Amino acid sequence: MNLRMSAGPHFVARESTQTLMLDVIIALIPTVAAGVYLFGLRAAWVLAVAVISAVLAEFIWQKLAKKSVRVGDLSAVVTGLILGLNMPAEAPLWLPAIGSFIAILLVKQLFGGIGHNFMNPAMLARGVMLVSWPAQMTIYTLPIRVLGNTSVVPSPDVVSAATPLIRPSAYSTYDLLIGNIPGTVGEVCKLAIIIGFLYMLFVGTISWHIPVTFVGSVALLSWILGSDPLTAILSGGVLFGAVFMATDYVTNPLLNIGHLIFGIGCGIIVVVIREFGNYPEGVTFAILLMNTATPLIDRWTNRRVYGTVKKHA
Amino acid sequence: MSRLSFKGGIHPLKEIHEGKEATKAKPIRALVPEEVCIPVDMHLGAPSIPCVKKGDLVKMGQVIAEPAGPRGIPVHASVSGEVTAVVPKQQLHGKPSTCICIRNDKQDTWVERHQLGSVETAPADKIVTAIRNAGICGMGGACFPTHAKMALPEGKTVDTIILNGSECETFITADHRLMLEQPERVVDGLRASMRAMGVLKGVIAIEENKLDAYEAIKKAAAGREGVSVALLKTKYPQGGEKQLIQAVTGREVPSGGLPMDAHVVVLNVATAAAITDAVTEGKPLIDRVTTVTGIVNEPSNLLVRIGTPVSEVTAACGGTTEEPGKMFFGGSMTGLALPDDTVSVTKANNCLVVVNKKDAVLQETSACIRCSRCIAACPIMLNPQRLNVLCEAGDLAQAKKENMMDCILCHSCHYVCPARIKFPFKEAKEKIAARRI
Repeated sequence: MNLRMSAGPHFVARESTQTLMLDVIIALIPTVAAGVYLFGLRAAWVLAVAVISAVLAEFIWQKLAKKSVRVGDLSAVVTGLILGLNMPAEAPLWLPAIGSFIAILLVKQLFGGIGHNFMNPAMLARGVMLVSWPAQMTIYTLPIRVLGNTSVVPSPDVVSAATPLIRPSAYSTYDLLIGNIPGTVGEVCKLAIIIGFLYMLFVGTISWHIPVTFVGSVALLSWILGSDPLTAILSGGVLFGAVFMATDYVTNPLLNIGHLIFGIGCGIIVVVIREFGNYPEGVTFAILLMNTATPLIDRWTNRRVYGTVKKHA
Repeated sequence: MSRLSFKGGIHPLKEIHEGKEATKAKPIRALVPEEVCIPVDMHLGAPSIPCVKKGDLVKMGQVIAEPAGPRGIPVHASVSGEVTAVVPKQQLHGKPSTCICIRNDKQDTWVERHQLGSVETAPADKIVTAIRNAGICGMGGACFPTHAKMALPEGKTVDTIILNGSECETFITADHRLMLEQPERVVDGLRASMRAMGVLKGVIAIEENKLDAYEAIKKAAAGREGVSVALLKTKYPQGGEKQLIQAVTGREVPSGGLPMDAHVVVLNVATAAAITDAVTEGKPLIDRVTTVTGIVNEPSNLLVRIGTPVSEVTAACGGTTEEPGKMFFGGSMTGLALPDDTVSVTKANNCLVVVNKKDAVLQETSACIRCSRCIAACPIMLNPQRLNVLCEAGDLAQAKKENMMDCILCHSCHYVCPARIKFPFKEAKEKIAARRI
């Protein structure tokens, strides 16, 4: 009789890195669908190039570095997809390819691969592109189709338009929520993002802590500084960043108390950049800055171990 | 109905009802073995010393190994018949154990027994001795000698005895069936223990996935002095001593301490039933209920004589449906794997799970993605992610500072980990203890 000898647990949870990533992809489906509907086939091309480049970059690196090929864990697909959703539909197609290579090679693999990057790969790649190719990264156009009853006139030709962050009065709350506005492929339809958020909450992919504190603190601070809180959270990439990027496991703190600090920190930085900085939008840099603060937050936070008296860090 | 619980924890194998469906409705049936091989080191502590030799005829319940030292317990013949061998045999792990093998003559000729009377009238000062003489140890898995648990050191006080009927581990239904079919034996055992220790409060704690057992025990406990029944949330490790004490009393066992430091003694329900037999019948611990499940043809709850080889146990359940890839005693969270089916069932074994080749394959470990699931799962509020990093880096001194020794080895972190990390905490704790870091 040939029996395997191993310590418990003899069965483990069904959830694996791959199923977690798959759940993020499922949560992104409404956002992808809304983006492609609003911005047309051009948006689909941007997403496709971003995803294929990300998976290819990971595959090539793992082959060259003689590591086991783990593209099957779907993390590169998520990175590519999120990166593509962070770009305007009219970006030249070499841009998402370069972005994915930066994200996968520079940010993820050079630091040791999945789990070892200290910044969110898609977020840092967006940051690099925003600084290196500011013109191409901000070709914001009106949607070619609109959703629902709106005063926004869809534009079948490519027409550059100012985002609601620059001209907030041009769009109704409905347009901001449903996505009848210029912006990146993924950030415009807030309704789709919220559906994705609820899905991830329901299946337990993420907890509420970071998205709620992030968005909540943006609303509260904007209100204190005299802006309309609803417009503040429905403009730009706050919702997309709070739900899909700030919640990246690898680059945010471990404890719930850390998640709260992280979310509030992101919110504060976004509003500071928006209200006092030169950039109209601050989500990218807010999340990147808080990514770098994560080890510090982990160090400063602890919880009381059963049977002990609370230690002060 | 209010349900008590603790912080953290998980719900393992929730999608298949903790793996208990196959046996929870199966009444206990007795297995008569052809031969038993009884290890003399079933309990925690120094092994007992054999006092019979090959060729001796022994009666059922006769002492066949004497206790070594005041904390030791005797071992009894679980069948009547001829001693065929006193030999070392490989059991679960470590060095082979000395085993006393007896061929069963199936006469069940009992040795002379001395009962103390009913649990309410037996002289209280004689109960602990009776428990020791009956060879009783914790039947939930640890097998710590019960009389030693009841002997409190100078200055320690206990005000509550909790009977652990949570059976939070997967697959096991042995305690469930025992509580359902013989609730009086369980309640009587609690009363005997309370009287022996002079404790006024006794609580029988049962998880809500065994509502029928809860009702049966509640009925049996009605009107019994100082006894109450508590319903617990179905959560793992609800039956861990520390979690049970937190759930039932709201107290915490101090770091590095024992349940008695929280003024509580925890006994398993099967142990309580054995105590009843020892007091009212003078019957030593020679059999126990063991759940047999997995890929056996007839998953069952068997009343197994101590020392019955696993091969006879699986045969009594109609054999296996396919070739086994793994067998383990206990539930799937902390169960101990068997080297082969010649191993004996001991006083500690509440369950035998047989797994096929496919399910025996271990999943490959990948990199930690810092998802925090281990942190949410830890019932001790440790940071398993961080402790794993420290253990991998070999920094056990820092791991100790971050409460490594408070880990109860429940494997919840390992169960939930999507990267299949095999948290090396047992080895780390052993190294820290051995090197006195």
